Amino acid sequence: MRIGYVAAVFGKEWRDLLSNRVLLGAVAFPAIVFAAIPTGLVAFIQARNLDPNQIGQIQQYIAQFPGLSPKLAAEAFIITNFMAYFLIIPAMVPMALATQSVIGEKQARSLEPQLATPIEVPELLAGKTIAAALPAVLATWAVFCAYGLINGAIADPALTRLVFSETWLFAMVTLVPLICLFSVLLGIVVSSRVTDARTAQQIGGFVVLPIIGVAVAQFFGGQATFTLDQVKLGDLIVLVLIGVVLTIGSWAFDRESILTRLG
Amino acid sequence: MIEVQGLGKRFGALEAVQNLGFTVGDGEIFGLLGPNGAGKTTTVRMLAGLVVPSSGSARINGLQLGLDSRRIRAITGILTEAPGLHDKLTARQNLAYYGRLYGLTGATLRRAVDRYLGVVELAEVGDRKVAGFSKGMRQKVAIARALLHEPEVIYLDEPTSALDPSAAKNIRDFVSGLRDAGRSIVICTHNLDEAERLCDRIGIIRKTLIEVNTPAALRRRGSLATVHVQLAASDGEARRLLDALVPLPFVMGAREQEGTLQIEVRDPRRDNPELVATLVAHGARIVGVREEAASLEEVYLRMVDGDADGRDGS
Repeated sequence: MRIGYVAAVFGKEWRDLLSNRVLLGAVAFPAIVFAAIPTGLVAFIQARNLDPNQIGQIQQYIAQFPGLSPKLAAEAFIITNFMAYFLIIPAMVPMALATQSVIGEKQARSLEPQLATPIEVPELLAGKTIAAALPAVLATWAVFCAYGLINGAIADPALTRLVFSETWLFAMVTLVPLICLFSVLLGIVVSSRVTDARTAQQIGGFVVLPIIGVAVAQFFGGQATFTLDQVKLGDLIVLVLIGVVLTIGSWAFDRESILTRLG
Repeated sequence: MIEVQGLGKRFGALEAVQNLGFTVGDGEIFGLLGPNGAGKTTTVRMLAGLVVPSSGSARINGLQLGLDSRRIRAITGILTEAPGLHDKLTARQNLAYYGRLYGLTGATLRRAVDRYLGVVELAEVGDRKVAGFSKGMRQKVAIARALLHEPEVIYLDEPTSALDPSAAKNIRDFVSGLRDAGRSIVICTHNLDEAERLCDRIGIIRKTLIEVNTPAALRRRGSLATVHVQLAASDGEARRLLDALVPLPFVMGAREQEGTLQIEVRDPRRDNPELVATLVAHGARIVGVREEAASLEEVYLRMVDGDADGRDGS
């Protein structure tokens, strides 16, 4: 793998992204929405007093935050519980970028001149993968930081400490990039089999369903947020999935099949 | 130099190209002429190291196809059928990107980009996004992209399509200059006039090579030529001379028009001496003799139609 070639592809893809406002919006919008909803709830709770009856209904959840007042514990539950949705950003955004990139190249018929250069297919795909994954990782990290700081400022610094917990810092550093990588690779493989970006994104969109399922199960299971072991298990599962997609991808993306199938 | 032996490509049940054999020397322009689906693109893709041949072998400047594909791609410039540009980038950014993929960096890359933007007359619009370019301008950027890294072997698919006559002439002149610089050039084209003007030799392809020859030899090959014999005599003499030509076996047809006999023969170089001798023996007073060969288009259509037989390729 020659870094110069990967960097050239990355640079081209990055320029492409920066000049496409719709795609930039697609990167930023979901991240902001997922952070804004719980932050709005925290602000709402902070602005008024909790009804003792409501406290009784959420006793199971706020009990997980001993040492915090019921009101702050309720806020803590909301912000930590919603953090599972931060994993949807790296699953959804890179998929959109990757499918747009490959389908766009298919439609412009620009893959052939690139493959006619000395670049190797893994170098081309690595450049595209990093270019699609990096904005989502950066967006997730940026919103994660803002999320912790803003909620701490709205309510109490204890919320900032909960957001920047060891478990979530570990998830941000490992699970988020891994999900991004999986999402990009899946997007590329799906794009190689279909002819338009919308179809590719619809098929690839199924990747967010397991994450939503985990988030919902976490809520109904009465668990405020993931444990470190659960994050590590998630890392392992995503790594296995990446291996499966890479195996399929190496078959779907040899130079000849790209040219004869993708044009 | 390109040396091709028995090259073939099969896609499943479809045989796109079979048993190709030809050479293209240094400083030679070789034209590949053939109808749609004749296998021109597949041939170029194989020789450019993009598609693996199913049979046969080829050497590009001594490099073995299949074993040295990356090095072959490094010394090859290819103008693809579609320009395939990146619309969100400027012409300069497009070229710079491909320059990097061909291993150019720093000042060398900048000089190459500037030079070829100038060659294709796009220096003034080099910083505009190609999304707003006309078809001809896009073709020019694609040509610049193919030549940017000073390739030793060049494949050009319809290089002057979409260009106005002036730009097409400039590109033809530039390609001729590349030949003079010793590059091996293969041009795929439907434009027979262009093939005749540019190519040293032409290969007519329909899955396999039907014929390889110089444009002049192809025009003579298997085709009738018309010999124009201008007479210095009256109407009556022309009629009598036409009758005298009837017994000659190589005369395929003859007519008179405004004091000139128009005689169709198979091979003027072989037949003209006997033709002229016969006319003189019958009292013809000849002012001049001129040969009009069949056009390359006529030869091409005859060869391709004659070989058609329902075959098809990619």
